[in-house]
Order: sequence, then structure tokens, then C-alpha cells
Amino acid sequence: MLLRRSSLIKSPFLRLFSATAAEPKMNLDDFRTIETNPTKHSKEHIGKYYQIDDTIRKKLFAHGGIPKKYEKQIKTFNESCLMVRPQAIEIIDFIKKTDFSKPTVRYVLYGERGAGKSMTLAHLAHYGYVNDFCLIHVPYAPDWYKRPKECGLSTIHEGMIDIPLECASWLIHFKLQNIDLLTKIDAKTSKTYDWSKREQTPAGSTLIELVDHGINRAKYAADVIAALIDEIKIASTAGKFKTMVLIDGFNSFFYEKTRVSVDKKARRWPVTPDKVTITQPFINITNYDWCNGVCILTVDIIGMLGWDRESNLPRYLLGKEGFEHLDPFVPIKMENYDDLQFNSCISYYVNRRWIQNTEKGFDQELKFMSNSNPYKLMELCNAL
Amino acid sequence: MFAKLKQSSQLFKLTYRTCQPIQISSKNYGVVTSEKDDLFLRRDKTSKAMKAYIDRAQQHDEFMQKQREEFEIGKRHLANMMGEDAILYEDQEKIDEAIQYLMPSALYDKRARPMMKPPEKVFPGRKAAEFDETGRPYSFLFYTGKPNFFQLLYDAVEHLNALNKFEDEMIRQQKTVDLAFKLELTGSEWISQNQLELKLVESIQPVEHRYFINTMNRLAEHPYSYRVKEFIEQYRKPLMNQQIIFDIPKPQLDQDGRFFITVYECLRKRARGDVTVRSPGTGKISINGQPITYFENDQSREQISPQKKYNSHCSIKRYE
Repeated sequence: MLLRRSSLIKSPFLRLFSATAAEPKMNLDDFRTIETNPTKHSKEHIGKYYQIDDTIRKKLFAHGGIPKKYEKQIKTFNESCLMVRPQAIEIIDFIKKTDFSKPTVRYVLYGERGAGKSMTLAHLAHYGYVNDFCLIHVPYAPDWYKRPKECGLSTIHEGMIDIPLECASWLIHFKLQNIDLLTKIDAKTSKTYDWSKREQTPAGSTLIELVDHGINRAKYAADVIAALIDEIKIASTAGKFKTMVLIDGFNSFFYEKTRVSVDKKARRWPVTPDKVTITQPFINITNYDWCNGVCILTVDIIGMLGWDRESNLPRYLLGKEGFEHLDPFVPIKMENYDDLQFNSCISYYVNRRWIQNTEKGFDQELKFMSNSNPYKLMELCNAL
Repeated sequence: MFAKLKQSSQLFKLTYRTCQPIQISSKNYGVVTSEKDDLFLRRDKTSKAMKAYIDRAQQHDEFMQKQREEFEIGKRHLANMMGEDAILYEDQEKIDEAIQYLMPSALYDKRARPMMKPPEKVFPGRKAAEFDETGRPYSFLFYTGKPNFFQLLYDAVEHLNALNKFEDEMIRQQKTVDLAFKLELTGSEWISQNQLELKLVESIQPVEHRYFINTMNRLAEHPYSYRVKEFIEQYRKPLMNQQIIFDIPKPQLDQDGRFFITVYECLRKRARGDVTVRSPGTGKISINGQPITYFENDQSREQISPQKKYNSHCSIKRYE
């Protein structure tokens, strides 16, 4: 019995009973849902944990996308479960009802720290992947401006700073996410790109070749990204595929400071994000001058490098320029857990044996202490 | 002129105004003379100590008289300054208010602040003549240095002996103590050292004060101590009622028909807050507009958590 079960059926519930020799009961836990396809997620699934297939997760989020602490939790619990949040359902609903012949709609997720913006973005990435969207996913944009591994003056563009390794690694990430789609669709570049006297990507070559060039030649990676973005815009507008742009921490593109500097002495000369080569393509893609796509952006207060972190709201975080660039957009507020979601989270932890001490009132205490903030709740439960 | 600082008692000799000179019959082995002749003969033999004392006494009396006058005039000046009627300033409270207004002081010790009080309160009393013109002390305990104190102890012991005698009588008559008459000493305590000093107009050491208390305790513990009740009551101070009567504020009605109470100036270290509790409540907390995230520290949140049973402060049962 055990052998047959473990080899054939891959239901998430049966893993719970794999330790015992009991009959597989289809005991539907309140906090779980069997539905693993995000397309089918709707209001009934709000507050429930659904499982992402490990292969898909590795494909989509190998270079980031799921916050590191949550990844640790995934490893501990031995399953990658994500909670379905109402905001994610809302956006999925909007996307389903979008008229893709109109210019791209921009959705901006905002909320206090730890409310679930990045996780929602991950959920939507899964949705996009399942629905054959081309994913342009920036796991966490502020990282580029905070801790670039290597940066130097750009040889191609005067007065700008290049972060070649970051650009190249993003291209790797893009390739991993979209390789299936791009091989299927077979999109081609519309024009020739001359990188130098000897290097060239001729018109009509596949996008994958373009990306490969960027990966191999990190020096040109930023320009490859720019070219890639242009091509994707053209291809989407032409109707070859739909595009989903997911950027976490979009406000860092418009913040007045970065920690990028060419040398330590020049640190006093503040480098604004628009002086970094990687910025322009992503500002380009979030324009509304193309169609057949959707942009979901997050504004994160942690992306602000200074100490002036007064508000979580988009207008403050994006600043004047950013706001004008994105205007009009659909703001979506990421709330803390409501009662249903909170109970579901607690049930999940108890089920995973993460919370051992379930004396009376423990959940009330946790709710009070964390103010139902998902991240805070996770932090509090880590200590137990 | 209007504010007088307290002067130390060392400058003035203390006075025991109601000193009763003990009458000790003196056996006169000398020439029988009349009192008048006595004085006549002894006129020039007034001791130097007595002369000095008379001078000092006169000076003190003059001084006090002057202070009295100044005080009276001062009250009227004060009334003038405050722009009010002089009759109002017969009341000491009004004077205190006015002085606090005119001369605000942030000194910690209230006794160090400016005050305007009648001279008797400001300047300590003095003992009346302890010896006659010849220099012969009235009290037999004068040479102890603290006649009043030792007089008090002497009286206590006299009373104790009398009570013992009475007790012996009662036992002989086979009568027992009526417990209804027993002296009730629970609501009071013996006067403190400072108060004893003021009462006796003598300086008392802590050792002496303890000795005094031991003596009085022995007296008070006697079964028949009710017979010397007045004597004991003189030296008892009633204890303050320790219970703080908590005036529970009444809830008010707001526009939505919900009851609410606001308590102002709630303190914790240097933090000050006004707390409003509404009933019926939703369980939500809002601090300066923010939810509990106002406190970033976990420990701060735990302190006001209603779930913690062992809070040192009382827990909030219902909240807004």
C-alpha cells in the first residue's frame, strides 16, 4: 500500500500521512487547497495554502523572487506552499478581464513591510508562467543599487555607470524563466544590433540568441537588456505573446540616491539611478506605449536607501518623477492578514509541527503581538 | 520683608512656656527672713546668667513684636500688590497662594521656598525662665540638661507605678480587667522624634527617642492603662488611612451611543498619555493613530498585551 501510494499519487495531503500506515483519508484541511493552478484560483481559495510544484519553483525563482526567509521555511517544511491572498486574486481577476489590445495597465502593490507584496508577486509569476506570459521579472530591484557586485564606468555610454555582473545574472534569470516559451513561440529580433566592430546580432535571430550574447559578454549585458526589452515590446504589440512585467521595489529606480559608486573617493558624488545603465530598460518597459502586456510593480519602503522612510504610499515612495511616469496606475493595497487568513496561517504552522505549544489563547496573543502582519508572525513563530 | 526664611533654632534659646516648677520644700537652716527682705538683699546678687537671660528674653520679645507688626503690615501690602481686599489676606491660604504667584520657586524642598507666615510659626519657641533671679533652677532636673524630657520619663514611670499599685488592689479584691476599657492603640503610633522635639522644646537624640517609646510602650501595655489615657493620648499620632479611595470615573456617552471613558495623564517613567476606552468595543487598539506597530519592540507590545497574566500593570480588559 505504501509503495503504491508514494509512487503514484502526488497529493499534498498524503505526505501528511506517509509516516503512518493508515488508509489515505481525503481529509480536506481548512487551510489547504488542492488547486495548484493559479488560473483557477478564485475567492473560495482566499486564505488557503496551495502547493507550487518544485520544478516550477526552481525554474521561476532560482535567482530570487521568493524572499529568503520564506525559502528557508519551504526547506524546513519540505513543501513549497503559498497562501492565496485576496490581492492576488484581485489582480488575477483583472488580468483575466483585461482587453489586451489596449495599452498596458500598471498595477502598483503597496503596503507596510511584511504585508505580502513580494509573495503576491511570486504567486502572480506562477500565474503568468502557467498562462504563457513572457515574464520580465525583477526579483528585487533595490539590490542592484545597494550591493552591486561589480560596477564601473560604462564604456559605451558616456558618464554612466555599468553593473555588468548584475545585468548578466538578470539575463540568466530571464532565460531560465522564459526559455520554454521563447523556444515555442520563436520570436525574432526585428533589427540588427552591433555591439562592436566584430560582434553583431543580426536581424531575425531569436531572442534567445540575443540573451545568450548578453550572458556571454557581460560588458554588453546592459545594452542587451535594453535591446531585449525593445524587442519584447514590439513582439507583444504584434501579438506574438503576452508579457507580464513583475518588478519588486520599483521605487528604487526613482530614488535620488544609490550606493553605486565607481570608487570610494567618488562616494560623495551621488549617483542617481538614471546614471546606471540598467535603469532605462525597465523604465521603458513600464511605459504604456505598448500593448498585450501587464505590469505589476511593488513599491517598497525598504528600497529607500536613506533614513527618510515616512510613508508606505506610492506617491511618496515613487517621488514626483516616478509617479508621473507611472500615472495612471491601479494601486492595490497589501493588507495584513484578516481573521480567516490568520487562522489559516496558524493552522498551517501547527500542522507542520512548527508551533508546538498550543495552550489556550496562543493565537490571540500572536495576533495581538504581530498585529496580523505576516512577516512579523513568521518572526514570532521562529522564536518559539 | 514679605518672605522670611526659617532661621536655625541654634540662634534662639528654646522656651518651654508652660513649665510647672516642681515644688520641693526647702529646709531653711539659716536665718529666718521674710521674702521681701530676701529679694532686697539679693537684688545685687542677681547672677550673671540671669542677667544675660533677661537681656536675651527682652531682645527676643522685642524681635517677635517687631516681626508681628511687619507681618500685619506685610499682609496689607500683599493685598495691595495683588489688587485685592485686605480682609481676604487674613486667611493664611490666600497669603500662600499670593506668595507662590509672586515668587515662583522650583526648589525641591518646600521648606526652602519663599514663605510668609506669622512669626510664631517661623521662629521656634523659647523656653521660659528655667531659674529664678538668684540663678537657682526651678526644675530639679535642670542639671540633666534636658529637664522636660526627663520630666516626661519621670511622669511616665510615676504613672506606671500608680497603675501597678492599682492592679495589686484589683487582684486583692479579685476583680479582673474589664476588656471593654482597654486602650485602643491600633489606629495610631507614637509621635516621631521631630514632633517630640517640638513638644518638649528640647533637642532629642534618636537613642533618647527610642528610650521614650520603650517607656511609653511599657505604660500603654499595662492592662489598666486606660486610667492614664489622656497622658498617653498626648503622645500618640493617628495613622493615615492607607487605602486610596479610588474614584471610579463614570462613563460618558458619545455621539454613536457608545460609552467611553478617557483617563488623562497616565504615567510610565517620562511617558504621558491619555487613554480612551470604549464600550462596546471591537478589540482594536490605536496609539497616536497607529495600531500596535507604534511599538516596534516586541517587549513593549507584550507589556500591554491582554493575554499576559503576569503584567505588573493592570491589563486592559476591553479596548477601542
